[in-house]
Amino acid sequence: MTLVGLDLDYVACVVLFCVGLYMLVAKSNLIKKVIGLNVMETAVFAFIVTSGMIEGGQEPIVVAGSAPPYTSPIPHAMVLTGIVVAVSVTAVALALIAQIHAHYGTIEVDELKELP
Amino acid sequence: MRVFALALVLVVAATMVIGIAGLPPHGDPDGPVHTHVGARYLEQGVAETGLRNLVTAVLLVYRGFDTFLEVVVIFTALVAVLALPSATRQPPQSRDESAAASRRDTDDAVPVSPVVFLVVRLLAPFIAVFALASLYRGHVTPGGGFQSAAIIGAMMIALGLVFGREHAARLVPHGAKAWLQALGPLVFAVVALVGWRLTGAFLGFPADEAAHALREALVVILEVAIAVGGAVILAQLFMALDAPS
Amino acid sequence: MTTLGPTLLPWLVALPLAGAALVPIVARRDARWAGGFTLVVALVTTSLASVLVAQLASQGPFSADLGGWAAPYGIELHFDRFAAWTMPLAALFAFVIPFSWRYLDAPLPRERWAPFYALMLLNLGGLLGFSVTGDLFNLFVTMEVVSLSSYALVAVAGRGVAAWAALKYLLLGAVSSLLVLFAVGLLFALTGSLNLADVSVRLAAAEPSGAALLALASLAVAFLVKAALFPLHVWLPDAHAIAPSPVSAVLSGLVVKVGIVGLLRVLQLAAGTGISLEPLNTVLMVLGATAIVMGAFLAIFQDDIKLMLAYSTISNIGYIVLGIGLASPFALIGAFVHVFNHGLIKVTLFLAAGAIIHQTGYRTLSDLRGVARRMPQTAAAMAIGAVSIVGLPPTAGFVCKWYIALGAFEADQGGYGFALVFGALFIFVYYVRMLDAFFFRSPVRPEVADAVEAPWSMRAPVLVLAAACLVLGVLGGIPIGFVEPAVVDLLAALGR
Repeated sequence: MTLVGLDLDYVACVVLFCVGLYMLVAKSNLIKKVIGLNVMETAVFAFIVTSGMIEGGQEPIVVAGSAPPYTSPIPHAMVLTGIVVAVSVTAVALALIAQIHAHYGTIEVDELKELP
Repeated sequence: MRVFALALVLVVAATMVIGIAGLPPHGDPDGPVHTHVGARYLEQGVAETGLRNLVTAVLLVYRGFDTFLEVVVIFTALVAVLALPSATRQPPQSRDESAAASRRDTDDAVPVSPVVFLVVRLLAPFIAVFALASLYRGHVTPGGGFQSAAIIGAMMIALGLVFGREHAARLVPHGAKAWLQALGPLVFAVVALVGWRLTGAFLGFPADEAAHALREALVVILEVAIAVGGAVILAQLFMALDAPS
Repeated sequence: MTTLGPTLLPWLVALPLAGAALVPIVARRDARWAGGFTLVVALVTTSLASVLVAQLASQGPFSADLGGWAAPYGIELHFDRFAAWTMPLAALFAFVIPFSWRYLDAPLPRERWAPFYALMLLNLGGLLGFSVTGDLFNLFVTMEVVSLSSYALVAVAGRGVAAWAALKYLLLGAVSSLLVLFAVGLLFALTGSLNLADVSVRLAAAEPSGAALLALASLAVAFLVKAALFPLHVWLPDAHAIAPSPVSAVLSGLVVKVGIVGLLRVLQLAAGTGISLEPLNTVLMVLGATAIVMGAFLAIFQDDIKLMLAYSTISNIGYIVLGIGLASPFALIGAFVHVFNHGLIKVTLFLAAGAIIHQTGYRTLSDLRGVARRMPQTAAAMAIGAVSIVGLPPTAGFVCKWYIALGAFEADQGGYGFALVFGALFIFVYYVRMLDAFFFRSPVRPEVADAVEAPWSMRAPVLVLAAACLVLGVLGGIPIGFVEPAVVDLLAALGR
């Protein structure tokens, strides 16, 4: 679907990306920042998967009863890898936040900045 | 901060929209995504790899090295979390009252509602069967090693939440833990070595019809290693993060 | 024999990664085995790298098609002269790891030694993969292996402050990684390919579009964050100063070079596509020159020696980026030679600083006065490192900075040449401050007055590396001759 020459599906990904970016920058809570990062990641995954779509396409699994056109399998493989990477980064981020909480008793950036 | 964030978001959004306007429309069968590398995978993928699920074919056969690095990334996350000081075992340094209070809260486990207890117990075997089905049927339906790992990992985490992590930790045999968590990268390295001996190419899969069974076996070994190694890592990540001593 | 290079190339990446997976298994019986095993893996990897470099020298660049699928259908690893010149960086691991053995005694309990060494090997494998890969998506994944292990390494030995520094590093690093992934998605949607060379060719054949420009810009910004170019450097000083010294050495000497190698890949990608690189080069020159001066200026005010070295890294990244932005043969050669030479010098300096901190327990210049009296060898190594990084002859730093300065005049950008000299002056000031405190002041702390030299497992790597700084200064022509053909090719592809 397009509007004034813009692909609306892609625009939706941009909007989602920016929602995440806003959370990452504006929120003071570290967990919310990490969630913002995850929203941004989801936006990029959605963008990549969208780029592999095809009109009237099916999932690229060639079995009895399926027929071309198939969506491109490469974006799916890329996003699967991307998701695993995102999970890993999130896990390390949460472990670090747990450290910060154990040490300072807060996960608010505003309060962390006031500490010596 | 909010004004700055809004300004940044607007600039980024404008830049991205201008850039995206230059992309070919998606879904067009004649677009570059569907006419170049992807087209070859779709046309010859089944014949070349023997796999009907072409996403799996790309993951394990055409771009297996990416997947090797992918299991390495999640292994990295685990050793990263294990390398950090345990958050809950640290002596409280700040004498802030609220901080101490919040630490007490996390130490006292919230009692689990009997409903949750029962539901998790009832569902666990079915979740496990679902994970196995996703692994077993992964070549003809959406699914595969990573999906299966996520499902088993989630089941272990749910059990850990309900029964306490000591009980859930017993799901992973202690002596084998170091091997199981490294299963993904190690099995990939071994399969790469086998492929190298057989075909001369790193992570190569024998292509001739005669070696069909061997090729299938290698794929199954990789999928199982991804599923088991991934699940063990996910469960361990959760237990390392939530480790009341 | 002709296939030796392509056959061994994948193992250069796979070996340290598989080795990392084995570290916790090896260390099950005795945690001390982790360090020894890691050194063995690092040494084998280094020998493998030298075989590959020898192959390159005798028969030119080569590629390996992973899985036997020819590019662009499979992943291609490509070993060119740029990749080869990053191989000695891997050798530096073989010095950092024995240094870590004794250094870790104090800050790290034994049960966390195995994860620490595993992270080091993962970092090494990721760096090697990043240097040799010829595939865009693979570039992203290898970069993530490097980044993720780096975030954790910052926080291994510290408590809250270290975790906070690591998290700041992680948040910025994750956004820059995401920009890379986004750019990969854009380029894939534009060309249908992930192979770097193939994408470049197909971009050149297609109509110029805003999407290609956005992709290249995202990649450039992302890699400049990874390289910590001023003003995108905010994550660096804390992370590099708070990390344990062997980690600081790896992060400051090696990991920031991910951004530089990435930037070179962007140039290779853009070559021949008709996209003008003039705006990018202007930005690189201005920011590079600013980074040189600001990094050096901020370093002057640091009392903490590790923080000082961290700011010095920002300044030196400025030199490399300026050289790339100038895009003249001399400047590019100087910049690229500095990728390794800076790594060597910075690892020397951080390890020497680590030895001093380990032996005395102090880390500020005012506390460490007179340390050279009791630790003359380490202090001498530190002095050699300092002279190298200022860029005085006959040391490893001189050749690079000289070439970059020559490049500035060659490109008719004499003004930047002066910025460079000006920056060197600042750098000179702060290292003179350090040497003055170490050599010509009397100790104020009893621990410094009674300090002894570090154990040999720590001292030997420092001394060998310091000697290497001198040797590379005297034999500076060898690396220049080595990277020159690659620079000529790149400039030809860029149409200069």
